[in-house]
Amino acid sequence: MASNTTTADTASTGSASTEPILRVNDVTKTYGEGHTAVTAVANASLAVKEGEFVSLLGPSGSGKTTLISMIGGLLTSTSGTIELGDVDVSTLSKKDLTAFRAQRVGFVFQASNLVPFLTAKENLVYVATLRKDYDRKQASKRADELLGELGLSERIGNLPEQLSGGERQRVAIGRALMNDPDLVLVDEPTASLDTELGRQVVQLLAREVKDRGKTGIMVTHDLRMVEYTDQVFEILDGKLSAEGTGKEKAKSH
Amino acid sequence: MRLALLEMRRAKLRFGLLTGAVSLLIFLVLFLSALSGALVNSFTGAFSNLDADVLVYSDTARDNIQGSRLQPDTVAKVAAVPGVAAAGGLATTTTSAQLSTGKSDLQVFGFTPGAPGTPGGLTDGRLPSAPNETAADISDAAIGDTITLLPTNIELTVVGLLKGAQFNAAPTAYVDLASYEAAQKAANPNAPYVPINAVAVNTEPGASASTVATDIGSTVQGTKGYTMSSAIANIPGVSSVSQTFGILVGLTFIIGIVVIGFFFLILTVQKMKVFTLLRATGASTWQLTKTVSFQITAVVFLASIVASLLTFGALQGVNTGLPVSLSPALVGAVVVAVWIFSLLTGSLSVRRIRAIDPASAAGAR
Repeated sequence: MASNTTTADTASTGSASTEPILRVNDVTKTYGEGHTAVTAVANASLAVKEGEFVSLLGPSGSGKTTLISMIGGLLTSTSGTIELGDVDVSTLSKKDLTAFRAQRVGFVFQASNLVPFLTAKENLVYVATLRKDYDRKQASKRADELLGELGLSERIGNLPEQLSGGERQRVAIGRALMNDPDLVLVDEPTASLDTELGRQVVQLLAREVKDRGKTGIMVTHDLRMVEYTDQVFEILDGKLSAEGTGKEKAKSH
Repeated sequence: MRLALLEMRRAKLRFGLLTGAVSLLIFLVLFLSALSGALVNSFTGAFSNLDADVLVYSDTARDNIQGSRLQPDTVAKVAAVPGVAAAGGLATTTTSAQLSTGKSDLQVFGFTPGAPGTPGGLTDGRLPSAPNETAADISDAAIGDTITLLPTNIELTVVGLLKGAQFNAAPTAYVDLASYEAAQKAANPNAPYVPINAVAVNTEPGASASTVATDIGSTVQGTKGYTMSSAIANIPGVSSVSQTFGILVGLTFIIGIVVIGFFFLILTVQKMKVFTLLRATGASTWQLTKTVSFQITAVVFLASIVASLLTFGALQGVNTGLPVSLSPALVGAVVVAVWIFSLLTGSLSVRRIRAIDPASAAGAR
């Protein structure tokens, strides 16, 4: 299968960098062996620059979550390489992958996935404690600032069950940004939200990623949400293809 | 630790119930252990507190002091054996007596003041130094009380109170050997002599009690020597009481720690989604293991305090007829054992945590 290398280098990026910070080279993920082997992602390649927010479109079961899981160090690839800055993720041990996730990657999962017995602020501070250079005062201050920027100043002491769906997703975004990661991976952030709230959350994500000079990848099956992303990739049956800018893709829809 | 503490703070009911359940289990272990200790001590206290390294019985006694009969001159023979620093005669019998609380069985010991065989455990007053004085381990007894031996009507005056000095779980009185002989003579005027039951021996510094006991048996005809631990173990009923309570306490302990392990396994299974999320966001297996271990430690610690108070209260409120007490050493030993074994059974939870696939947080599998 031919590999597909695509760089999101559209004019809409807010970054001055020209070199991709994320390089996914010919990555394949196969589950099982022999007759039962299933290829979830086949020879996928992409490159994303700093400050870019890209979307990964695809129907359920197409391999998009598998791909970002490999990029985020949650899964190891069967073949190919994934490089984030100077780190070749595909060569890291399990222990190093854990540290990599804590320090280099921010995740926003479906349905927010907050720790239910921690308040909004504690959910953010906890991920800071996973860093080797954790400083309690600094973490507290940063959590306050992030939640303030996300419009949650009044909700910092609330438990997830006391927050609305949109507020929970905003807390999850704050958590993803807490450790100042290079890469923010977002999986179906609008899955449990209505259209308008989903749109607001994606706009907020796009703004935070760009303003902070991060690299963001959003997995979605909702075409309405891609207009806020710089580049759209589509994955079908594990095969990745570039689909142009977010605005172009949204317009064609 | 912070995560563990915050969860416990936010889930007070859950952890409160868990602590309550663990408290009851520890209470059961403590209560049974205290009862067992008191019961065994009531059989063996006389020997445990005795000033002796070796006891010598007649070789026909079948290891039981009450079946032993020795002539008084055996004391001198035993004293002459190499390795023996000092020896004293020890006699005992069970009789009826009129106590301040009514008629009762009484175990009477005769000993030579200042010689091996002198009782320990004096809590008030002094040891007897004159005829018909006694130091006694009798509940509700007081200095100045009179004990009347039946049927001889010999009166003993209580001059000292002992604790943990009972024999065969009966009220026990210690008198000097001369008073003992006089009481026995009064009951059996035609007896040619009053036999002693044992010779209590102090060994020379550095001498092995076991070796001295063997040497006495082979040197002094018709005798057999016992180290104190073997003499205590051979007291009739002691081994069966110890074994019975040992099984009870052991079973309660095992059930307790398994239940604690299961409790935490259930909590862990309930939190698998959270743990998976934390693993995905960069928490290591070790960090999550520390969280569970801290919670086990906190629950066992809090439960231990509650259980100790419960046991203390229960022992005050329950009249067992035995001097049951809760020693800090017993509480410490039980708590440490419960803690260590709870952490071990908590490894069931750790196995679950180690098996977490962080990718499942994203639904990639």
